[in-house]
Amino acid sequence: MRNSGHEALVRIRGLGKRYVQRRPLTRTKFTIEALENVDLTIRRGTTLALVGESGAGKSTLVRCLCLIEKPTSGEIWFDGVNLPALGRKELLPVRRQIQIIFQDPTSALNPRFTAGEIIAEPLAIRHEGTKQQRRQRALELMEQVGLCAKDENKLPLEFSGGQRQRLAIARALALEPKLLILDEALSSLDLANQEMILRLLGDLQARHALTYVHVSHDLRMVGDLADEVAVMLEGKIVEQKRTVDLFLHAEHPYTQDLLDAARPHESLCQDIRRERIA
Amino acid sequence: MRYLTKRLLHAAWLLIAISFFSFALLQWAPGNFFDALRMNPRVSAQTVAGLRAEHGMNRSFPVRYARWAGSMLRGDMGVSLSYNSPVAPLLWARARNTLLLTSTSTLLAWLLAIPLGIWSAANKGKWGDRACVFATSTLLTIPDLLLFLVLLLLAARTGWFPTGGMVSTDFGDFGFWSKVKDMAVHLALPCVGLAVVTLPVLVRHIRSAMIEALEAPFIRAARGHGIPRRRLLLRYALQAASNPLISLLGFSIATMLSASVIVEVIMSWPGLGPLMVQAILSRDVYVVVGVVTLSSVFLVAGNLFADVLLFVSDPRIRVE
Amino acid sequence: MKRQRKLWVAVILLAGFHGLVLCAGFFAPYSFSAQDRELPFAPPTRIHFFDAQGKFHARPFVYGLKDNPAIFGAYETDSAAIYPVHFFVQGARYKIAGLFPSHLHLFGVGAPGRIFALGSDAYGRDQFTRFLYGGQISLAAGWIAATLSVLLGIIIGSLAGFYGGWIDDVLMRGGELFLALPWLYLLFAVRAALPLQIAQWEVFLLLVAVIGLIGWARPARLIRGAVLSAKERNFVTAARAFGASDFYLLRRHVLPQTYGILLTQMTILIPQYILAEVTLTFLGLGVGEPMPSWGSLLASLQQYYVLSSYWWMFVPAVLLIPVFLAYYIAADALQERLKSVPL
Repeated sequence: MRNSGHEALVRIRGLGKRYVQRRPLTRTKFTIEALENVDLTIRRGTTLALVGESGAGKSTLVRCLCLIEKPTSGEIWFDGVNLPALGRKELLPVRRQIQIIFQDPTSALNPRFTAGEIIAEPLAIRHEGTKQQRRQRALELMEQVGLCAKDENKLPLEFSGGQRQRLAIARALALEPKLLILDEALSSLDLANQEMILRLLGDLQARHALTYVHVSHDLRMVGDLADEVAVMLEGKIVEQKRTVDLFLHAEHPYTQDLLDAARPHESLCQDIRRERIA
Repeated sequence: MRYLTKRLLHAAWLLIAISFFSFALLQWAPGNFFDALRMNPRVSAQTVAGLRAEHGMNRSFPVRYARWAGSMLRGDMGVSLSYNSPVAPLLWARARNTLLLTSTSTLLAWLLAIPLGIWSAANKGKWGDRACVFATSTLLTIPDLLLFLVLLLLAARTGWFPTGGMVSTDFGDFGFWSKVKDMAVHLALPCVGLAVVTLPVLVRHIRSAMIEALEAPFIRAARGHGIPRRRLLLRYALQAASNPLISLLGFSIATMLSASVIVEVIMSWPGLGPLMVQAILSRDVYVVVGVVTLSSVFLVAGNLFADVLLFVSDPRIRVE
Repeated sequence: MKRQRKLWVAVILLAGFHGLVLCAGFFAPYSFSAQDRELPFAPPTRIHFFDAQGKFHARPFVYGLKDNPAIFGAYETDSAAIYPVHFFVQGARYKIAGLFPSHLHLFGVGAPGRIFALGSDAYGRDQFTRFLYGGQISLAAGWIAATLSVLLGIIIGSLAGFYGGWIDDVLMRGGELFLALPWLYLLFAVRAALPLQIAQWEVFLLLVAVIGLIGWARPARLIRGAVLSAKERNFVTAARAFGASDFYLLRRHVLPQTYGILLTQMTILIPQYILAEVTLTFLGLGVGEPMPSWGSLLASLQQYYVLSSYWWMFVPAVLLIPVFLAYYIAADALQERLKSVPL
């Protein structure tokens, strides 16, 4: 575990996101506060876990962070630049530095594109390099994530779930991002695949000095891989601490609840062991 | 109540938009009745100009539209340029005939389609259903034109039915019941033709709506309770299928109106269809606009009626 | 599997028919305006191999026609006048694809014999020839109008679906308007606005444009639906995160999802629009003489004496049935395919 002496890559201050919707028949408006006054700091080179129940606003937060959605208020300071204030053209160079991996790899890949096309797409969109160069880069990335380069012409459906997630990771790396967001990226995989992908992610982080944000509702996984944990509840961050500190000295009652819910198997194991000994 | 007001407003907006659209279309027409008149060497330019001024064709567009809309609401639809008489009475007479034709054939079509659709759905997969599906598909591929012409041929060859027109030439001499019988005999062929043309689509939709309703879990539960099949079919499944069917009613009015034009022309039924065709050929602006507006009114009214029916039959809409 | 086969049979039949019509000049023995005032309403000519004396002719032949003295307006065959049928004959001049002149016809008989495969009309014009040339007009009308509708549908549907908001509201409201009106009345209203004194081919183009332009609403709605569901897919979101422009997203990711719908819509709309053109021309509001649309072929049936005495005038209408059937089968099969695609 690295210490928290790293500088901040991302500083989120007072972020808010409000949705206005109309009821279907009566057409009255009602607002949903998906994010309320969120403050978050992500340190360079570390892994931050973002936990909370469904609907807490985790996905909304990361969508604002990778510029898929625009926040209604607040600031996102990335490497010294306030993102919501930038125009479309100015955002372009920033976009390559923040990438996202989704939970369901199948829906994240266009089923009609080949693996090679998928990985090279970010480069193609930005017109970087010639077709040959892009293809080379795609093949390199495939090797990096543990896929066979000769599979480059296969369609996503010809890959397994774990392999598709690797494809998504390879694609995300194409633009050499600094920050990689994993929106419950491991939840749809079986345990064996989860292990392998976690190891791959650890490798990549060391190799490319990446910063990770893991969105998850699984505290046990979080314990293994995160340096810091931020807990979200109903659109607000209720606690952010280093992992060890959180597990041992959680302050907020909601965090306590989460921890308790994650532990039963531990206490069960302890009880069984006690039974055996006694 | 909210639902009804919403539908009413929707209908009103449709009517306004339609009237504007049809009026605008004709005002911007590159040619009009007066151009055709001018082609006639025996009519001097001054006469044409005078006629134009008389009909108010010289004013600006918004003024003309406002005047026209105002007079429409009062029931005055302008003057037919070729008949040289007011449009409104002309239209009403024809409209009555078209209404007579379309309502009887709608009734006939639905009276045939509902039992056929229900029976077909109930016997899904069996030979009866497959014959039904085959028959409807075949009917769909036959162009309406052909069907009406064949019916007319039938009338000509067998002499069972008159070959067109609404009444016989000596209609005026008939007593009351003879009049009714005469008109019915003339109505028969066009009515049957129209019904046959709209039947296949109706049967198809009714059949699929019923099949969907029959496969719903609550029906299976009811069957498990031992409710007799006929009651199940008619009371439960039909009710569940009634929503899409009522919307179908609104939609079928539109196709019926379009098809009625063809049958009226072919079988010389004096309705809005032949009037419209004549008016287009003679560039009779006000008649064309009047017919389009009137038929749109029928259509919108029919759809509104379907909406009201939906409101009455489906409690979920009332609760919102 | 069965459905696949049905689809291919339908497609092949359609292709064959369209090919036939496209090469109308070659397959038809006469030009579409060639009249023979001596032979109005002649019945379809029969082909014989055995003549009146029982002699066998290797080459098929037809008899000449002369007036039947017993029945007014009818004909009887003249067994003395034998006209052999020749193949690959020189006949009336026509242009292949409108550019290359040619005289070659598949079959024909020497003058003054006539071979009326489907009989002749009031001016003694060969109905078979007019059926083929009329097909050019009516089929072209159907195809061009359908393409127009679908194109307009793509543009409006994808704009409405992709951008949503007030654009969506306005466009879909407009579409509702077009759907709410009875299509024939709409067609009439627009037709009425067209000037009467313009060239025939201009009438055709305007007519086709009108038919196509009022039918955009249904394809637009379907495409809008597909676009709405496609734009929420994660691969679109991912591409957006890479900095893709809206245009790129539409072109590369969203619109390819609509191809299935487009194809199905085309197969549904083409026969509808063919029928629209035929109906309009039949009523006298479409293309006029001398352009032989299928509608004008059928128009003479409105007269009582034609209807009851000359059965062959019905044949062009009956021949439409298998054409429409093929289109419907193709449309059905495509819709099934669309449903089973795992997207």
